[in-house]
Amino acid sequence: MFPLDAPWNISFAGCGFLGIYHVGVASCLLDQAPFLVKHARHIYGASAGALTATTLVSEVCLGETGASIIQVAKEARKRFLGPMHPSFNLVKIVRHMLRRNLPNDCHHQASGRLGISLTRVTDGENVLVSQFNNKEELVQACICSAYIPVYCGLIPPTLQGVRYVDGGISDNLPQYELKNTITVSPFSGESDICPRDTSTNIHELRFTNTSIQFTLTNLYRVSRALFPPDPAVMKAMCKQGYKDALHFLKRNGLFNVNGPYKDRPLLANEEESEDYDEEEDDNKSEEEDKSHAEAKSVVFYTTSSTEEHIIECLPPKLHKALVEACMERRSLAQSLGNTLPVRMASAMMLPYTLPLESAMSLTLRLLEWLPDVQEDVGWIREQIMKVLQHVLRQTSKSISRNVSARLLCQLELHHYQALPSHFSSTNLFPAWVNGSGSPVQDVFGRLDHYKKQLLSGVLCINMNLQGSFKTRVMSPDNSPPPSLPPEGLTMHKIPTLEKL
Amino acid sequence: MEPATTTAPMQTDSPTESNSICNWWPSWRPTSMSLLKTTESKILACIQNDLWARFVTLSNQDRIWTLTVTNKTVRKPAEQAPKTPLVMVHGFGGGVGLWIRNLDALSRSRPVYAFDLLGFGRSSRPAFPSDAAKAEEQFVDSIEQWRQSVGLENMILLGHSLGGYLATSYAIQYPSRVSHLILVDPWGFPERPKSQTQTQDDEGQAKRQSPPRWVKAIASVVSLFNPLAVIRAAGPWGPGLVNRFRPDFKRKFEDLFEDDTMTQYIYHCNAQTPSGEVGFRAMAESLGWAKKPMLERVSQLPPSMPVTMLYGAQSWVDSSSGDRVEQIRGQAHTRVLLINEASHHVYADQPEEFNRVVNKICKTVN
Repeated sequence: MFPLDAPWNISFAGCGFLGIYHVGVASCLLDQAPFLVKHARHIYGASAGALTATTLVSEVCLGETGASIIQVAKEARKRFLGPMHPSFNLVKIVRHMLRRNLPNDCHHQASGRLGISLTRVTDGENVLVSQFNNKEELVQACICSAYIPVYCGLIPPTLQGVRYVDGGISDNLPQYELKNTITVSPFSGESDICPRDTSTNIHELRFTNTSIQFTLTNLYRVSRALFPPDPAVMKAMCKQGYKDALHFLKRNGLFNVNGPYKDRPLLANEEESEDYDEEEDDNKSEEEDKSHAEAKSVVFYTTSSTEEHIIECLPPKLHKALVEACMERRSLAQSLGNTLPVRMASAMMLPYTLPLESAMSLTLRLLEWLPDVQEDVGWIREQIMKVLQHVLRQTSKSISRNVSARLLCQLELHHYQALPSHFSSTNLFPAWVNGSGSPVQDVFGRLDHYKKQLLSGVLCINMNLQGSFKTRVMSPDNSPPPSLPPEGLTMHKIPTLEKL
Repeated sequence: MEPATTTAPMQTDSPTESNSICNWWPSWRPTSMSLLKTTESKILACIQNDLWARFVTLSNQDRIWTLTVTNKTVRKPAEQAPKTPLVMVHGFGGGVGLWIRNLDALSRSRPVYAFDLLGFGRSSRPAFPSDAAKAEEQFVDSIEQWRQSVGLENMILLGHSLGGYLATSYAIQYPSRVSHLILVDPWGFPERPKSQTQTQDDEGQAKRQSPPRWVKAIASVVSLFNPLAVIRAAGPWGPGLVNRFRPDFKRKFEDLFEDDTMTQYIYHCNAQTPSGEVGFRAMAESLGWAKKPMLERVSQLPPSMPVTMLYGAQSWVDSSSGDRVEQIRGQAHTRVLLINEASHHVYADQPEEFNRVVNKICKTVN
């Protein structure tokens, strides 16, 4: 039983185009346990999860959100390279849809309740934004949270004057560690609401807090997060979300809180939805059949236990919206375009058409960029300066290290050469040593000077050696010994070591 | 005689020479048995009861790292009949250190044995055959030999994850040694749903049930490697990788260790030469299904042997296979328990609840 006596939160994981799963989950929660959403203290989201969280908080129709996601996916699939095609501008589309779908006063409902996970560009730290001054700010926060660098563009967007990128990079499942947070993730793993794959794989990894099990279906899902699947597959994912949420409610005894009267209209829904399915089937062409099979396979693979006694289907409103979004108006031109020779031809023409299209979309983007140019260029300059400074600092550091290492070598060589000659001279010509003492001392003095300047205590061993030399050179001045035994050398070394 | 004596040292010399080169050359992976030892000792320092840690040598010269934890205060062996000891078998990629939150509590009433499975943790890392049955046999054999060397007559056998699979296999082969079988989120029970796909095909619902071909291609490439090859290949970034992708281990034990001792322990356990994971790979197929699933074999367990299956409510391991076991064996001697708010690592997520439940089960034995 989920503890309802304490305040609880809902957290949606970031997942790219799999966000459609969240729509299914959210619609189930709204349908079967509306209090769970209404009285949740916070609703968090990262990336695509942020979009659903925003929708939930601002009480927008979920059908519209689902349809929008599918439309974006269709837009992305239209071109040969999918979302990587230069003319596909994800940020623009999402911004447009958010502006269209969100009510004007959404920031009032969102402030304090909605938490959007963002990654600050300057230090890579996670930021949970929950205060929004106007609708535009909320839209911008959603854009920032979904802004996957490189995939969406190169210059990160700003929110309240700070640059942010995808929240999934630093925290993909905000506040998951709180015990009373309902975590929602479309990846099979250990989240509260997630698909249950029938695999028994032992490997599991955590991508910035989102538990992802290493299974075939998850592998497929991860690949589909950025490269959207067929609309029919997405619809199946939405359904899966609804089912998993239902399973969660049942497991935690939250299902029947609303009373059993809910069952009857649901029964009617099922019939209705079957009708829809039939309609859909009629419209199907060969290719769609394939994708439908794929969709079914996903569903099949992920459902471990089918709950026959509870009717699982999307609410009619959402279902209708999704079906309409999935429906493709088939004109003659489109059906012609789908035939094999035409597709082959377009693929072969790609080297010629791609540069043209890229140039077109580039100029379009440049035109759209014009209002922000000054700000962005300033930011780029700042970044470049920072990088340059860093590089300069690094190189100067490495150069100084190199120089000091070379000097070190020389120093050692000096000592090495000086040692034997000195020994012989002290043994044979004690008087001459007095004379030669000063140049030797001079050399050491100069070396010492160098060392102070460049090496600042890098070589202790060398310093000790030098100490022993010094004393030996000094000692003949005070009381010249006839010969210097090796023991004397060590004896002298000790006090100088202490001095050092 | 003479040539033989001269060649023998030559042969023994060559590996040591290569070893010394290995030691001299900076290692790509920042790990070694001694690092594992120091990290483990940091963890084991938390144990308050009497701890006896040593290598148990098996008849084939493999060494099994074994912990024995006994209660300090109660020492009246003469008055009572000795209690059946509890033996704990860890899961894939783990080691004795993961039981740190359970050893003390469970050892209050009876001695607790925990050991690193053959090929994992600090135990020997021999080569494993690539045949599923033979690999399983080697694991189970090592457990039986370990039991003989330690000198246990019978035991309460507790296995987690892969350990649960092996414990079940052991209990099937040596039923007289197991007084009670406790399986915690066991791996390898359900069959691969191949049969289900076939039935679906018969119904004509859908012909292509599998994920797209390229996903399978990736999966088949991945399955060519050892499961933990990534950690080894990452070399110096390995510990960071573990920290980044398994921060949950750090969090589960954060009241005991504030630094990343636990993730380091996991890293050192798994970055060593692959051995146990080779055995695991032999027993598994296509990303984690057991080649010889236990559900087919649980009926071979003696019907009178009590079995308890503990599942984490949030774990990805499906507790429905526990229900299946209950169906197969009958409810008289099989129980399935769910522990709330616990993931796959039930014993670390909800240690109090876990210890309470296991203690209760142990009390039913004696």
